[in-house]
Amino acid sequence: MSTAATDLGPSDSIAVKKAGGIGRSARWTLFALLAPGTAWLLVFIAVPLGFTLAMSVWKSTILGTVPAFQFGNYIEALTTPLYRDLLFKTVRIGVVTTVLSLLTSYPIAYCLAMQSGQRKAVLLLLLFLPFWTSYVVRTFVWLPILGRTGAVNQFLMTLGIIHEPLPWLLYNEGAIYLGLVYVYTLFMTLPIYLAIEKIDPRLIEAAADLGAKPRWVFLRIILPLSWPGVLSGSLMVFLLAVSAYVTPQLLGGPSGIMFSNMIADQFLSNNNWAFGAALSIVLSAVVLLILIVAGRWVGVHQVFAGGRT
Amino acid sequence: MVTIPRKSFAISKAFNGLLVLYALLFYIVLYGPLVTIAVLSINDSSIIGFPMRGVTLRWYRKVFDTPEFVDALFNSFAVGVLAAVIASALALLLALGFRRVFPFKSVLFNLVLMPIVMPGIVGGIVLLLFFGYLNIQPALFTTVLIAHVNWVLPFAFLTLYPRVHNFDVALEEAAMDLGAKPLEVFWYVVLPIVRSALIATILFSFSLSFDEFIRTLFVTGYDRTIPVMFWSMIVDQLAPELPAMAVVIVLVSATMSFIGALISRRAATRNQ
Repeated sequence: MSTAATDLGPSDSIAVKKAGGIGRSARWTLFALLAPGTAWLLVFIAVPLGFTLAMSVWKSTILGTVPAFQFGNYIEALTTPLYRDLLFKTVRIGVVTTVLSLLTSYPIAYCLAMQSGQRKAVLLLLLFLPFWTSYVVRTFVWLPILGRTGAVNQFLMTLGIIHEPLPWLLYNEGAIYLGLVYVYTLFMTLPIYLAIEKIDPRLIEAAADLGAKPRWVFLRIILPLSWPGVLSGSLMVFLLAVSAYVTPQLLGGPSGIMFSNMIADQFLSNNNWAFGAALSIVLSAVVLLILIVAGRWVGVHQVFAGGRT
Repeated sequence: MVTIPRKSFAISKAFNGLLVLYALLFYIVLYGPLVTIAVLSINDSSIIGFPMRGVTLRWYRKVFDTPEFVDALFNSFAVGVLAAVIASALALLLALGFRRVFPFKSVLFNLVLMPIVMPGIVGGIVLLLFFGYLNIQPALFTTVLIAHVNWVLPFAFLTLYPRVHNFDVALEEAAMDLGAKPLEVFWYVVLPIVRSALIATILFSFSLSFDEFIRTLFVTGYDRTIPVMFWSMIVDQLAPELPAMAVVIVLVSATMSFIGALISRRAATRNQ
């Protein structure tokens, strides 16, 4: 699916030299090393995906899903207002979540990069800790905070600011944004932090010595140099947000569903597998498109390695 | 290397003060919900929420008396261990192979990354369709395990690859030249070098598998994993023991990840 940047690092040029005189036994070893993983990926990723692609042009009838070759599912998915609007809404939620996440994460990443020693280690650990647990749980925790008997309402009522619980804290698009930004913050904060951290402090000192005002140091040096981190983080959060299923289902309320929830409905209630397959391909295509476009500026490999090494 | 104090990043005093204040707020929002859920887990009230009606541990007892929870915990551990070992083994072999140049290398690399790139729900749906068409009934150690290995494999590869990439193919070639068989080379040369990185990867993979939800939901049969069980409880009705259950789940997965991070850190410093 992904064809975007596949830069494996500069050390590959060294590997070329090493592989120069590759012998027969070495070739067998290479085959033995690659075969199990490749076989797994082909059988359990490539073939099921190919099968889904095939089924997306089939037809689901009351008797079951039958092979066909027609694009009715795609036409329905892209022209019916219900599905088309939901796709736009999902992309919009993805964009807004990414912007909100960027705005909340940049200052904290900046603050972390400024720290040093023990304090930095502790703050980083505290940043990671919540992300080492299930996002289902981390989404669930907002229910007893924003709900009618939740912490916020009870707190405001105890203070006498309100007399009735506020019903609008939960089950709307705002709650979805809050949930998504909360659940995926680390994926934005970490790459930005790593990018700022890499900036040579001498550059900043030099600029300051030459009389640059702090604001300009930030705008002309720190911001441009942290740009790769901003791109990586934004791409990752956007991809995660447009695929959201749990957050809209739990916090979004009846009208707060997103594209993934619509896909799930085809299997859980509508029993329309062919159409569900087509919707799955549509969502994957959106993701792939974004990756290809973004891949022009940022190595996709870096995006996924960033938070995990 | 000269280390200049990171303080040079500071823009101005007033701005710095604001930044620290913001950081404080950020961490409060980050931890507030988790602290709240911990407080609610000992609230002696059959409605999840405030006000506090006394302190009790009965919800924790209830959690461990719920057979579904205990079963799910066992299932998650079993699948997690198997998925972590299988994915790490496949990833290690792939990473060793990736030190060489071979045809279609970038195609294979994209194939490895595919499960991360694919929207979560699609990762589950493709397996549902595939196994459904083959008439394979969803079950813990077939469909769920496969879904988990799919999900964990790219992360295992991405953590192992940089570690493996550092060590020289010449080491193995030397051993081969001295007459070692491929398996001996693997056992006596490769494994000792990558051992700690491999252990860290297995632990990290376990915690990814332990938390996996969306890809598992659609291929789950009778036996459920922890996140799927937790999800069906939330969707079904908000049972009063849910906060206690959430706390237990958080503690289990955070502990596993913490140990993994410690080992991974030690492995990283030793490699330098």
